[in-house]
Amino acid sequence: MFCRRALVGFPNAKLFFCDRFKHRFLRSLKFPKHTIQFHNGCYTRTTRTLHTSAPLLGAKLLSVDELFARKSLQEHLKKIQSEYNQCLQAVNHGGAEEQCREEEMRTRRSKLSQMVPLIQNIMELDTKYKEMAENEALLKDPALKELAELEKEECLQHIQDLREKILDQLVPEEEADLSDLVLEVTAGVGGQEAMLFTAEVFDMYQGFAQHHGWTFEILENAPSEIGGLRHASVSISGSESYKRMKFEAGVHRVQRVPKTEKQGRMHTSTMTVAVLPQPTEISLTINPKDLKIETKRASGAGGQHVNTTDSAVRIVHLPTGVVAECQKERSQLKNKENAMKALRAKLYAIKLEEVTSKRYNQRKIQIGTRGRSEKIRTYNFTQDRITDHRIGMTVHDIKSFMIGQDLLEEMNSSLQEFSNQEALMEVLGENEREGL
Amino acid sequence: MWRRSLSAGCRCFGFGSIGAKRRGQFHSLHTCSPPALPVGRITALQALEFWKKHFEESGVTEPDLSSHYIVAHSLGGKTIESLEQRKLTEFLSREKTEQIWKLCTKRLSRMPVQYVIQEWDFRDLTLTMRPPVFIPRPETEELVELVLTDLKNKPSSGDTVQTCLEVGCGSGAVSLSLLSSCPQLQVVALDRSQEAVELTKENASRLKLQDRIQIHHLDFMTEADEACSRCSPVSVLVSNPPYLFSDDVKTLEPEILRFEDPFALDGGSDGLTVIKQILTVAPKILSDRGGIYLEVDPRHPPLIQQWVEANVAELRYVETRPDINSRPRFCVLQKKQRELDVK
Repeated sequence: MFCRRALVGFPNAKLFFCDRFKHRFLRSLKFPKHTIQFHNGCYTRTTRTLHTSAPLLGAKLLSVDELFARKSLQEHLKKIQSEYNQCLQAVNHGGAEEQCREEEMRTRRSKLSQMVPLIQNIMELDTKYKEMAENEALLKDPALKELAELEKEECLQHIQDLREKILDQLVPEEEADLSDLVLEVTAGVGGQEAMLFTAEVFDMYQGFAQHHGWTFEILENAPSEIGGLRHASVSISGSESYKRMKFEAGVHRVQRVPKTEKQGRMHTSTMTVAVLPQPTEISLTINPKDLKIETKRASGAGGQHVNTTDSAVRIVHLPTGVVAECQKERSQLKNKENAMKALRAKLYAIKLEEVTSKRYNQRKIQIGTRGRSEKIRTYNFTQDRITDHRIGMTVHDIKSFMIGQDLLEEMNSSLQEFSNQEALMEVLGENEREGL
Repeated sequence: MWRRSLSAGCRCFGFGSIGAKRRGQFHSLHTCSPPALPVGRITALQALEFWKKHFEESGVTEPDLSSHYIVAHSLGGKTIESLEQRKLTEFLSREKTEQIWKLCTKRLSRMPVQYVIQEWDFRDLTLTMRPPVFIPRPETEELVELVLTDLKNKPSSGDTVQTCLEVGCGSGAVSLSLLSSCPQLQVVALDRSQEAVELTKENASRLKLQDRIQIHHLDFMTEADEACSRCSPVSVLVSNPPYLFSDDVKTLEPEILRFEDPFALDGGSDGLTVIKQILTVAPKILSDRGGIYLEVDPRHPPLIQQWVEANVAELRYVETRPDINSRPRFCVLQKKQRELDVK
């Protein structure tokens, strides 16, 4: 939901307020509040009492009102409305045209039906504006003043709701957002310490998956000698799993005194997270003829001739050269299924890359291979803080963060909102970055 | 001659000095004492390393995987990766160490890992394994896949209960996999080996599938009529019959030669003895349009097709399907629809 966070136990407080209502709203909240200034000092916001200190958000997150005040948005809405009307006219008068335009008509009709919910909201919004204006007149009448005040409040609430809905509908949907994913973690620079950190991040995501009720199935893992992780890959599935996890991809950096350090010096190590969406059957079809499947039983007659415990399977996608393998299971068939899953994820990532690389060109939050080598987050244990560099957000209490529940959820939601805003800005044709 | 399981005192073939690597070379038979237990305490990872090296030096095939699976099993896991790091790096108890040593010593005698740990996975199931009952091969997982696909596509299915006959059930891998994936299925399983029948019963109980399977101790070569009487017309006949050529049996590796039932392997001089019997008897057991699914040697499919066309009028050769390594491995046949006798 645009600019709205679904946090446990958090009432329907908004992040943004018209100045006139700020006072009234703050009074109605029952928990203690303290406001924090943002870097550009544009607006204030309440925080939750879940954490000991407030998170800082360096990036500018615009409010609904600010967005609606923008000329580009108003023009965009008008553009959509005129597009809709044109389409509607074409469909209504096109009935008499020749048969060969049937395909075109079908596309037009489906486009129309997709636009209807948005158009309805825009029209409703216009109606509400008119109601507001009519109501203003009644405020002057002393007898109806109280009633008019209530009407006004209700009206404003509706307007706010509609605006949020419209913004939601304007942000383009990503095909991949509906899919499941394969998560890969790999230790980077820093030897044993990096591998230990990789294991900790892995556990954090396991907690996050549990928190959301997603399934977490380990496909491959390579532990280190002292309890760390060299690399691992996991299949995660559940509602909105890819949509959330996609923001975790990139290089995570840790700064602390490692367990292995004898002289108490601080080290910086890294690990990389890669997130590969799992395509549905429709979004990616692979021709079996394009695959070369290799097993250890390839030579000789196989079958009853040989007894082996080596059930590793390796699949090569011949047209692209992409390889996936699995040897985790004792059953060869299961290894083959897992390898296929991993292969599909890799191929899908490549396919998506082509589609999204242009779209994500200008954005701060990079998804896909562009984002792969970006340092997205630093975990500083000594100062007990985690900073996400893309939106300049810092939270404290690493221990709680690494459990993978509320704190990670919050950071993830902020990233989501910021990403939605960037997407919206692109739609509005505003490619230049506003403030930082 | 094949032998059943060996006791802890191993007979090591081709076992030279510690440093030398000999593979598959047979010297004079001599008993050697298994490696002594370590003096101090060791971790699982260290046990892994030790036995991997020892298997290598002793010429045991797949030394890495052998120690991997045995140690993992001793610690209660299927694979090393599935175990918690902690378990691998903490010291093993004396008991555990002795258990690992005992099992690995069995492997030194070339006993297949599946017999050493007494279990193995087949598709989604974990089955108990015991010599000399034949250990399911990965190719057979695909045989089950073939049957399942066809069963699901049959238009007649739905509520009707289907029956399947398996000839030569061994450990029960094929029958139990089919039952586990098809709630509507009933199975009749046969094997000439009493041990196989016992093992299949055991696995069926463990998997709680015993209510839908009947297992009979019958030799399909000599007691085919008896077999027919035990099952009313079935819609599917499936088998992984012994299909090795007798000459090839001599060249098998020790794991198979010394431990697995030769009757589960030897198919006669052309490997087709049991297959031909199955195909001859099949029309009496199958319902109309019933299907036959066989796993065979890669050289067999064209021979089988020719032979059926010449000798079994009631059967139609449908197709040959490849295994994961693209070898022609599975023969699919069907009983023809009986024509109405107009005269």
